[in-house]
Amino acid sequence: MNLADVMDEVAGRLATIPGLTGRVYSHPVGSLTPPAMVVSYPESMEPHKTYRRGMARMKLPVLYVPGGRVSDKGTRDRLSQICGDSGPMSVIEVLESGTYNAFDVVTVEGIDFDVLTIGGTDYPAALFGLDVVGKGNRS
Amino acid sequence: MASVHTRDTVIIVDGDDISQYCSKSDFKRTADKHDLTTYGKKAKVKGGGLLDGESGIEGFYDSTAGTGPRAVLLPLVGQVVTFVRRPEGTGVGKPQDTVNALVLDYVETSPVADYITWAVKLDHSDEVTSITQ
Repeated sequence: MNLADVMDEVAGRLATIPGLTGRVYSHPVGSLTPPAMVVSYPESMEPHKTYRRGMARMKLPVLYVPGGRVSDKGTRDRLSQICGDSGPMSVIEVLESGTYNAFDVVTVEGIDFDVLTIGGTDYPAALFGLDVVGKGNRS
Repeated sequence: MASVHTRDTVIIVDGDDISQYCSKSDFKRTADKHDLTTYGKKAKVKGGGLLDGESGIEGFYDSTAGTGPRAVLLPLVGQVVTFVRRPEGTGVGKPQDTVNALVLDYVETSPVADYITWAVKLDHSDEVTSITQ
């Protein structure tokens, strides 16, 4: 698997979520305007899951910042749609139903929630942990 | 002399190279044991008998039609096929074992929240041919 191709395809698929077109970044950026989603660098990559580099696996984090304050109900509602397991805005539904060239299958393993402080204001964020599996560069 | 990683190991079953779907394999050779102890001995005397062996292969399921592990291995259950294993990979000077083997069983496992895996047991039949490629 090629890391850049994987990150590009994941970002491309996420950009089909209503409201996120043009707001999904395929790599970490210096600044962003919420709502926004960022495909970050892998936590780990395993190139030898099978002999002859037949299968490779990586753990890929995706950060979603909905915008709005932690205390806003609208913020909660946006997060609920993005983090839900069904619907047109569901990251799980959108990613896991996609067809990809750079890898075989992507699974949302889990979602962690955190608060980011930007300019002295707290903003909620959701961090998706993706399990990406595909064919290695077979020897 | 050096340690060898398994990333180059080659597994060929019935002429199909399924290495890219394999995550683990083993190759075991055994011999029958005969007790040749006679009177007066203070310790057992043993002799070797007929040779035997078995192999196990496991890996990650792949849906590729025709050449994926399910497509290749499932139809072979109950058949005696040629099994070739190159533990250090393909290359001049590297070891290779070839044996006829009865495909004893093929098992697919689907754990929740993980990937489907497969495993197959091979029962060696007749002698092993071990060569240097």
